[in-house]
Amino acid sequence: MIRIVVAMSGGVDSSVAAALVARAGYETIGVTLRLMPKLETGFGCCGSPKDIDDAKRVCETLGVPHYTLDLAELFESKVIRPFVDEYLRQRTPNPCVECNRSVKFGYLLALARAWGADAVATGHYARLKKGRLYRAADEEKDQSYFLYSLTPAELSKLLLPLGKLSKAEVRRIAHRLGLATADKEESQEICFVPRRDYRAFLRSRASNAAAYEPGEVRDGSGAPLGRHEGLANYTIGQRRGLRLGSFPQPMYVTGMDSGSNVLTVGPREQTFRGGLEACGVSWTVSDPPVAAFRARVRIRHRHAPAQARITPLADARARVDFDEPQRSITPGQAAVFYADDGELLGGGTIDKVIG
Amino acid sequence: MKRRVYLDHNATTPIRPEVLEAMLPYLRERYGNPNSPYWLGQESRAAVEKARAQVARLVNAKPSEIVFTSCGSESDVLAIAGAAQSAFERSRGAKRHIIASSIEHDAVRGILETLRRRGFSISILPVDEHGRVDPQSLRKAIQDDTALVSVMHANNEVGTVQPIRELAAVCRQEGVPFHTDAVQSAGKIPIDFRDIGADFLAISGHKINAPKGVGALVVREGAALSPVITGHQEKNRRGGTENVASIVALGKACELAQSELAAHAKQLSVLRKRLEEGCLKIPRSRLNGHPTERLPGTCHVSFEGVDGFQLVVALDLEGVCASSGPACSSGVSEPSHVLEAMGVERRWSTGSLRLSLGWGSTAEDVECLLEVLQGAVDRLRKVGVSI
Repeated sequence: MIRIVVAMSGGVDSSVAAALVARAGYETIGVTLRLMPKLETGFGCCGSPKDIDDAKRVCETLGVPHYTLDLAELFESKVIRPFVDEYLRQRTPNPCVECNRSVKFGYLLALARAWGADAVATGHYARLKKGRLYRAADEEKDQSYFLYSLTPAELSKLLLPLGKLSKAEVRRIAHRLGLATADKEESQEICFVPRRDYRAFLRSRASNAAAYEPGEVRDGSGAPLGRHEGLANYTIGQRRGLRLGSFPQPMYVTGMDSGSNVLTVGPREQTFRGGLEACGVSWTVSDPPVAAFRARVRIRHRHAPAQARITPLADARARVDFDEPQRSITPGQAAVFYADDGELLGGGTIDKVIG
Repeated sequence: MKRRVYLDHNATTPIRPEVLEAMLPYLRERYGNPNSPYWLGQESRAAVEKARAQVARLVNAKPSEIVFTSCGSESDVLAIAGAAQSAFERSRGAKRHIIASSIEHDAVRGILETLRRRGFSISILPVDEHGRVDPQSLRKAIQDDTALVSVMHANNEVGTVQPIRELAAVCRQEGVPFHTDAVQSAGKIPIDFRDIGADFLAISGHKINAPKGVGALVVREGAALSPVITGHQEKNRRGGTENVASIVALGKACELAQSELAAHAKQLSVLRKRLEEGCLKIPRSRLNGHPTERLPGTCHVSFEGVDGFQLVVALDLEGVCASSGPACSSGVSEPSHVLEAMGVERRWSTGSLRLSLGWGSTAEDVECLLEVLQGAVDRLRKVGVSI
């Protein structure tokens, strides 16, 4: 019998993923990861007591076993600490990408194989066809962006049962099967940051870093406009909380320089840039391109992929030149490459903004 | 249905058919309240008293010294909270110090923490590498205001048996009440309550093939104990209408355990020897607990480079029930307080596996486990522990 481990967060999506796997006749094993130390899980990170309880109840309804796996130390070292470090070097990291890479598909997949499982299933909205990864049918919910770092070998051991479903259909299935999580709210933002306040979280982790030194705010021409409260408090494209007084038009963060500790701001048109260089580029396809090619590139979750020319470079880097300038290209976020038919080809971490 | 090999008798045990038979009439036609004056009640009362005698015989206590409770944890809480309260009152608030070992069950640790918050001070006795308490360290820890000492008889994780007579003797010389949690040892190794010289001794039904939800506390005649659940039942020591059917079951289980104790212990020792040999053949493994002074059915081993909980899941998927620590805390790869107290390094304690045998265990069970264990350990070592 084919044995499938389902990664269950305790939310409705992975609950339905588990239900679909079980109803397809596979030997189904629910696993919930506890990612935060027991005492810090009051607010809804993966593995809060409520989420574990919900996942257990769903598995009880389905009549399949469930295990809770404590990976808090791995999560701390592979996701949280790099998240903090990246912010302190003026980047805006995407911890979900890192969690998928190191925890859900790195560690859990290896463990599932050791448990004799043939594959791991998750509740991500993305489609798999013959081991190739595509955007989800439900464009609104598409989460393929977070999966770009998976290798072809990993994709061959992955099931994404929700790929063809809409969120509404998922909820309907959950209701029809009487799953305890049918009406559960969406999880929001970064799972390990309490009250969505990542600035407070950063400060609690690294309050005396240089990135908290106040400094100067300047416009694109170098003219001083005011003071900032430490570069760690800002992200590219940010408009709110700049406290610069009144300007004829809204001002946005367009750049940060840790050397001079200067925050650069400008009007909306100055947030548009023509390209980027990505590092740590990996490919979901088994025959990665070696020469320049055209594709659509998504530079943040929910960004509409934009036409670009991609040039693979040495050392797992790639250069992306957009046909049209893109707003707020942010170092630290992922740049993910899609073919016109929605296939995800690969991606990397935005290292530099160019053009 | 896939095969099931049950190697977690320290967590709970199957109900023996004789025990189930004995209790069934009291779930059906003999439903009387033992406190009622009419015959239906008298039948129930007689059944409870018969069970009391059976439990008393297992541990060489007087029937009048047996107080029925709802579980082992309640027995521990009644002994500790009840004796502490009583000593506190009799000394007009002077006695507010309690001593316990560092390897007690969570039932004991929990009530100690509660009493600490209520103003008692708690001293924790260290154990040696095998998990034994030194009677001399107990003697040194006793103060003028010590209200109670609590040291478990046999440890639930590693199975180490304490020098319980010596520990009780120290307490008697110092005039301090002594409680022992014998939940894991009762029915498995001989217990002589008189000879030990303890004041309180806790027993649980479901560890010895009776159902969950029944236990007993042995209270030495004359020992001072304030009730936790007040009421006239159990001679004012534990209120609440007696759980007649389960008490009958506990009595029957004690009777069976007593009559088979020596033969059973011998049989389990043979199985365990084979189990340990098999486990220790695996490279980078070790045995935890006392080499000889140990429960006959408990085998606690560690595999370096493996996460114990992940090993338990791997075994479960092969149809084998085992434990990486006490059932109450499974799912968390936190090091067990017992292994920590014994000074077991984290690289070992992380990869712990507790295999516990009991009634119904067979040589085939042991072979089934050994068949799948090596492969599971090898595969999990490739994954590595997540730290």
